[in-house]
Amino acid sequence: MVNWLIVGWGTWSVSRHFSSPTSQIPDAQLPAVSILKPLKGVDEGLADNLESFFKIDYPSFEIIFSVSNPQEPALEVLVPLLKKYPNVNTHLLYSSKSVGPNPKINNLLCAYEKAESDLVLISDSNIRVEPAYLRRLIPDLKSSIGIITAVVAGTEPSGLGGYLEASYLNTFFARWMFITRDLGFESVVGKSMLFRKSTADRFGGLKTLGCYIAEDYMAGHAMKKLDLKVDLMRSPIRQYLGNYSFRSFWNRHLRWGRIRKAIAPMAFLIEPFFLTTVSGALGAFALNQITGLSVFIFWFVHLLVWCLSDIYLNHLVDRFSWKSVGAWWLREFLAFPLWLGILGGNKVHWRGKNYQLLKGGLVQGV
Amino acid sequence: MYLADFHIHSNFSDGKYSIPALVDYFGRREFGAIAITDHFCEETSLIGKASSYLGVSLTRATFPIYKEILKSEQERAWQQYGMCLIPGVEITKNSILNHRSAHFLVLGDLDAIDPNKDISEMSDLARTNGGLVIAAHPVSTQKLEKQTFHLWDRREELASKVDAWEVASGPYLFEEVKSSGLPMIANSDFHSTKNMTSWKTALSCERRQDAIFDSIRKQKLDFHFYREVAICELSRPVMPHHLGGQLANRWMGNLVGF
Repeated sequence: MVNWLIVGWGTWSVSRHFSSPTSQIPDAQLPAVSILKPLKGVDEGLADNLESFFKIDYPSFEIIFSVSNPQEPALEVLVPLLKKYPNVNTHLLYSSKSVGPNPKINNLLCAYEKAESDLVLISDSNIRVEPAYLRRLIPDLKSSIGIITAVVAGTEPSGLGGYLEASYLNTFFARWMFITRDLGFESVVGKSMLFRKSTADRFGGLKTLGCYIAEDYMAGHAMKKLDLKVDLMRSPIRQYLGNYSFRSFWNRHLRWGRIRKAIAPMAFLIEPFFLTTVSGALGAFALNQITGLSVFIFWFVHLLVWCLSDIYLNHLVDRFSWKSVGAWWLREFLAFPLWLGILGGNKVHWRGKNYQLLKGGLVQGV
Repeated sequence: MYLADFHIHSNFSDGKYSIPALVDYFGRREFGAIAITDHFCEETSLIGKASSYLGVSLTRATFPIYKEILKSEQERAWQQYGMCLIPGVEITKNSILNHRSAHFLVLGDLDAIDPNKDISEMSDLARTNGGLVIAAHPVSTQKLEKQTFHLWDRREELASKVDAWEVASGPYLFEEVKSSGLPMIANSDFHSTKNMTSWKTALSCERRQDAIFDSIRKQKLDFHFYREVAICELSRPVMPHHLGGQLANRWMGNLVGF
C-alpha cells in the first residue's frame, strides 16, 4: 500500500513539475553563466553532445572545457568544434591540480577558478541539450535555492544494457529524484548542477568536495547546511546512451549502489522493501494470510499496476517504446540480485581506477 | 563587557538550526562571542557509531564541510555583528554507564581533532596548537538526560589538562564545580531556542579568539543568567545587576548576576 502511494506520488510530482511554466526573464536581465565541462574519454555521441552546447541560445555564457591529461582523446572531438564555432566564448584548460581522490573535481579545479560568472553550471560530457536549455534553467535559481539539478532521461539506447539503463533512469530514478526533493533531501545529479560560486565558496568551493566520490550529493548536503534547497529543472536533460553492454549497466549500478550504501547505510538497508518484486511478494504473502487470496494473482496484479504507472512515467520523461517495457520487467527482477551484489563489497571501479569507499562517502584510491 | 556562549550545537549534529542561522540568532542579541561545538562521537564505541549513522554527530565525512562553513561564517559574524565566532567541537565519548561517559569541548584549531583519542592526549594536541579545552557538564545537569561524570571522576588527574569546567550548561548552577576551586565557565549547551534561557559567560576582553582564550585561562570573567524574552518584551528588559545598565539599551534578555 505504501509503495503504491509512493508510485502515485512520484508520478504526480513529475507530471506536475514538468508541466509547470518556466518563468520568463527579459534577455537584458538574464545573468551570465559559466558552463564547466570536464572531458575524459570519448563516449558514443560525444561530438553531438558537445555541439549541442555550442548551439545554446542565451545572451551571455562561456563554456570552459577542462582536461586532466594533455593527450586527452576527447580533444580530437572538441578541437574541430572550437574551430566550427569561433563566436562562442570558450576556453580549454588543462588541470594538473589534485585536492583529493575524486578525478572529476581535480579536473574541474582550474575551470572553476577561471569561471568569470557567479552562476556556474557543471555539465557532464554525455549530456545533450536543447538550445533553450539555459533559458529554461536559469530563472528558477531563486535566492532560497542552492543547487538546481535535473532528472536525466536515458535516450536513444541500444544494446541490452542501454535499455536497462534507460528503464532505470526514466522510471525509478526520476520518481525517487522527485520524492527525495519533495521530502527535502539533498539528491543531486552531478551531470547537471547549477549553483552560485559565491554560495559554494561558503563551504570552501569545489576543492572541499575533492575527498568524496559523490561530490554531487555532498554539494547538496553542504547547501542544505547553509539552509538552501536543492531543486530540479522543469524538464529532463538527455543522456545519450548509445550502445551499452549489460556488464556496463551492472558495474555502473554496483558503483552507484555502493556509494549510496557508504553515504546512507540505514536507507540502503531498507531499499528492498521499496523494490517492485520484493514489496509485491511481501504484500502478496500478507494478503494471502489474511484473505486467502492467491499469492501469484496479487503479485502479478501488483507488478502490472506498477508497470502501467511506470509506462506513463516513462512517457513523461522520454519517448515510450515497447522495448522499454521489456527492459522494465527485466530490470525489476534484477533489482534484488543487484542489491545483494552492492551489499557484498565496498570497492568501486570508476574511469579506469579502483577506489575503496569509506564511511560517509569518503574515498581512497586502491 | 559582552556576553558569550561557548557550547552551541548546529544541525551538523543534534542541534535544530544551521550555523548561519545561529550566527544571526546570537548576533541579533548582540553576543560578543560564541563557539559552535557540534558533537563528534568516538568512532570505536557502539553508541558513537549509532550516533553517526543517525546523523546526530559529525563524522570524518562531514567534518571538512563543517570546518569550511565555520570559516566563512566567522568572517560574516564579524562583519555583520562584530561577533567573534570560534570554531569548536564537543568530543563525545558515550557509554551506557554515566561514569564512563565524557564530553569535552575543544575550541580553536580543529585540524588535529580526533574523537578517538583520550582526553589527555587530545588536550595536549589542542593546547599545543593554541586551542582551549573545556569539560562539558561534568556533574549532574539536573535534567532527565544522559549524564557524563567521567571527567569529574578524574578531575585531579586532568586539572592541568582542562582550561575550564562548566559551572552551568543550561539554567542550573553546578554547586560541586562552583565550590571546587577549578577554573569555571558557564554555557547554555544550546540545541534550540528553548535552551537560550541559561547561564552565560560575560567577558570584557577584546573580541578576538586569543584574547578570549586568555581571559578564560586567567578566569577574568563573570557569569550571568540570561533570560530569553519574547520579541514583544524586548523593549522593557530588566537588568538588576551591574551588567544591566550597560546592556539594557542593547535590547538583550534579562540578566541576573552570578
